[in-house]
Amino acid sequence: MIKSTFNDIKIEAIATAVSTKWTPVEEFISEADEKNVAKFKKNTGVEGRYDAGYKQTTSDFCYAAAKKAMEHKGVKPEEIGLLVFVSQTPDYKIPATACVLHNRLGLSDDCMAFDANQGCSGFVYGLNIACGIMESSNIKTALMLCGDVSGKGHRRSIGEGRTDPDDNEAKLFGDAGVAVLLRKTESAPQLDMAMRTDGKGFKAIINPYGHSRHIHGMAASHMDGVEVFNFAIEKPPILIKELMADIGTEATDYDCLILHQANKFIMKQVARRSGFTSKQNLVSIDKFGNTSSASIATALTKYYGDENEGTIKAMMCGFGIGLSWGAVSAEIEKKDVLPLIQTDEYYDDGYEDIEPEILA
Amino acid sequence: MSEKEKLALLEDMFELEEGDLSADTVLDDLEEWDSMSKLSLIVLMNDEFGKKLSGDEIKKFNTVGDILAYMG
Repeated sequence: MIKSTFNDIKIEAIATAVSTKWTPVEEFISEADEKNVAKFKKNTGVEGRYDAGYKQTTSDFCYAAAKKAMEHKGVKPEEIGLLVFVSQTPDYKIPATACVLHNRLGLSDDCMAFDANQGCSGFVYGLNIACGIMESSNIKTALMLCGDVSGKGHRRSIGEGRTDPDDNEAKLFGDAGVAVLLRKTESAPQLDMAMRTDGKGFKAIINPYGHSRHIHGMAASHMDGVEVFNFAIEKPPILIKELMADIGTEATDYDCLILHQANKFIMKQVARRSGFTSKQNLVSIDKFGNTSSASIATALTKYYGDENEGTIKAMMCGFGIGLSWGAVSAEIEKKDVLPLIQTDEYYDDGYEDIEPEILA
Repeated sequence: MSEKEKLALLEDMFELEEGDLSADTVLDDLEEWDSMSKLSLIVLMNDEFGKKLSGDEIKKFNTVGDILAYMG
């Protein structure tokens, strides 16, 4: 495993932003499908999710979250030396969305800003990338922004917020953006991280269309459910156990296990195989759906967003598309996990939408 | 493990009553044989028999008997 340890970088704020529109699973399924709805809820754990507005993108949520995170610690824009945006739903094909956010947040030229394309492992990968760059540079304060509007990608263009009732993935995926504010400080609790990748599984979750190899596009991605499931219940537990063995911790040392909110059944298996109890296993998929790289933060926000006393010792693990997976052992102060942000604002970049027929 | 014990594991997994399944039961006739039960079968096969079940192997299962045979 790729192992990193950071002794002087602190997680100073974690903020999650979603829209104001929460859609229950029932809303887009006819009454005749009542049994299917019950089954879907039982199997995935999803009761509903927040839907991005028609014009809202991941970066709109990350922007709102970043503003709040900076406000929380009184950090000025010119102090941010690094902005990493981790997402599979960037604003544009080019340039990097990190540059758009750099502009919107009013950051200075003395800043590195770039995108990383990761999905469900994006939160932990993003932390590792940001901390690694901070460690080897004079950067004191950084923003790791991540999230996706995967739900939006699955909602067909029947009209705003409408869903194809047969598309289970549309019911599963929610939209959210996250900001993590990181700062170099001598009093930081140790951060330990472990990462892995298995490119043999690159086709397990893929949308091959609309880019250089297959130019013409298709809206939704394809997932090989059984392969992904086999991967998810096998590889992440091994990595979590290896990381704990390496740093000399045990499952009982942690207040919680925060897994990528893939679906409830997978999470249950991963927790059990990693030696954690179901009580330690935080679940936010019920209210947020599967929000890709934002999902670990949605769980932190759901459980600790309104608490201000004490510290959480957390084992966090993201896993999925790539295939890629990673685990982070961290201590976070509850007051630094901010309450849920809800916004319907979006950035008007001045461009008009092009109608699909003109594109064709 | 006896065939009866293996059947009991499957009945438990499908949330069926004892005696609901036999080796001749055709999987596609079972309402419970859905994508979720296939994932449950992967877990059961792994936990109880140490075997990793692939999507292709699942597709080859026609009857409950095929699963019992795979359990070995």
